[in-house]
Amino acid sequence: MTEHTVRMGNVITDGEIVVSGLAKHYKQVKAVDGLSFTIKPGRVTGFLGPNGAGKTTTLRMILNLVSPTAGTATIGGVRYADLAEPLQAVGAVLEASSAHKGRTGRNHLRVIAAAAGLPASRADEALELVGLTPAAKRKFKGYSLGMKQRLGIAAAMLGDPRVLILDEPANGLDPEGIRWMRDLLQKLAGEGRTILVSSHLLSEMELLADDVVIIAAGRLVAQGPVADVIGGAGNAGSVRVRTPHPDTLLAALDGVGSSNSEDGALVLTGVTAEQVGDAALRAGVAVHELVTERPDLERVFLDLTAGKEAIR
Amino acid sequence: MRLIRSEFLKIRTTNVWWLFALGAFGLLLLAFAINALNMHFVLDQPAEMAEGMDPEGAAAMSALAEPVALTSYMVTSGQYFGLMFVMLLGIITVTNEYHHQTATTTFLATPQRTSVILAKAAVGGVFGVVLWLVTTAVTVPATAIFLNSENITPALGDWEVIRAILLNGLAYALWALIGIGIGVLIRSQIGATITAMVMYTVGTIAVSIIVNVLTNLLEWDWLANVQWAMPSLASNLMTSGADLPGQPSYWVGAVVLIAWALVTGLIGTLLTRTRDVS
Repeated sequence: MTEHTVRMGNVITDGEIVVSGLAKHYKQVKAVDGLSFTIKPGRVTGFLGPNGAGKTTTLRMILNLVSPTAGTATIGGVRYADLAEPLQAVGAVLEASSAHKGRTGRNHLRVIAAAAGLPASRADEALELVGLTPAAKRKFKGYSLGMKQRLGIAAAMLGDPRVLILDEPANGLDPEGIRWMRDLLQKLAGEGRTILVSSHLLSEMELLADDVVIIAAGRLVAQGPVADVIGGAGNAGSVRVRTPHPDTLLAALDGVGSSNSEDGALVLTGVTAEQVGDAALRAGVAVHELVTERPDLERVFLDLTAGKEAIR
Repeated sequence: MRLIRSEFLKIRTTNVWWLFALGAFGLLLLAFAINALNMHFVLDQPAEMAEGMDPEGAAAMSALAEPVALTSYMVTSGQYFGLMFVMLLGIITVTNEYHHQTATTTFLATPQRTSVILAKAAVGGVFGVVLWLVTTAVTVPATAIFLNSENITPALGDWEVIRAILLNGLAYALWALIGIGIGVLIRSQIGATITAMVMYTVGTIAVSIIVNVLTNLLEWDWLANVQWAMPSLASNLMTSGADLPGQPSYWVGAVVLIAWALVTGLIGTLLTRTRDVS
């Protein structure tokens, strides 16, 4: 038994999730269609896609809850079903409402701990971790949506897993709760764990994720570090400037790409705001507005997923 | 073993088990009281009772008045509702997982779904046996008191009585397994419960009537035996513990019950193994 655990521990230290050629075809729909990507340990990876893109189905296939039509998914080189101690390798938060309504939060965790061969004391530690100790003996039906999410995270953390998979964990959390979760996930990733978070909230992902995997209509659209994905999509930064004498300013900048935005401002590419400001001073042109416009994930996401039907 | 502990904890941490135990216990007391009242009149005026009956009914009546049959009859009081509650608990332990969406959590902790179902069957069977033990612990002294008050020596030490008690226990365990089997086959809580209840109550009577009518109409005597495939009738056959003329042997009833539990459980398990959990 000990030998077994140690061996598993070694394998999962790596904690890399590899999805290869994964597909799930229903009668009418190809929910997931030949998806391949890799999730690295020690980083938070955002799993993005419009509603109906196949995010949840993919996560459930990784966790052996849905059987794939084709392809494989492994965690640390092992299929989920073959993990000797699954809860000590992988924690998952899938639905906010997955507990018996008449059971207390603490008993819900104790049931899971018993099935995973973990001591009942882990239930109390996990409750403490997510700040639910005051509500430990309250029944699940009395929990708010935010508390249910916290209980879900507590359940996932019972086995102190190296890999954490969360499906839309921000749903139902208030801004304070979202901030708490972001800090927790970044801390856990800092400890070397693999964190995979699906979401459709892009602004949130930009703050949280190191890497992103973007899918649409069951297929991979983009994958990589957030900055690369944003930069690689032809979305270099631009500078927006408003001036009464645009021609004079353009002449002073010499050879910079420009376009006019709808409200009459200039949008310049290939320069920094400092360069534009300096040039305006030299040319003696008044500047009424000068803004660096960073491309954001949302823009990239919308560009990348445009044309892919959300409803199939 | 850890799965059995987890399943036991699942039952213990909700209200279901004591509500069911309370219901079964209340109905046990009621059933015993009715049986006692019934027997009181049978013993009091056997001749009068028999007068309005056909000879066959009168013979059955006087056979029941024998101490051994009487003791067996009284100590297995409450069986009808007890078996029903055990079956319902079996159904609920499975369908709750889908009703409350805890199947996801359960199968994440244990990807080997067959083991989960086996653990549920073990815990359900134990619950059935415990309910039987409690029931019997009540009916044995109550029967002794009742029969003594009727000036009849209770035949509690008689092998036939002991066999009736043991077969009653087997019925409690098997009905729990049938409940688990129905639960894994029909995941919907409402669907499974209604199907089982209809089968247990109305279905039993309906099958009896249909089979009897057809047998008389077509004059196919073998057709009468079809009714023993009905689990509730098979259960009656088994717990009667005696070989009555015109009926299959009591162990046939046990075989039918085991077959029901196995077939529903097996098909349900095969489906559960491959079915997507969402």
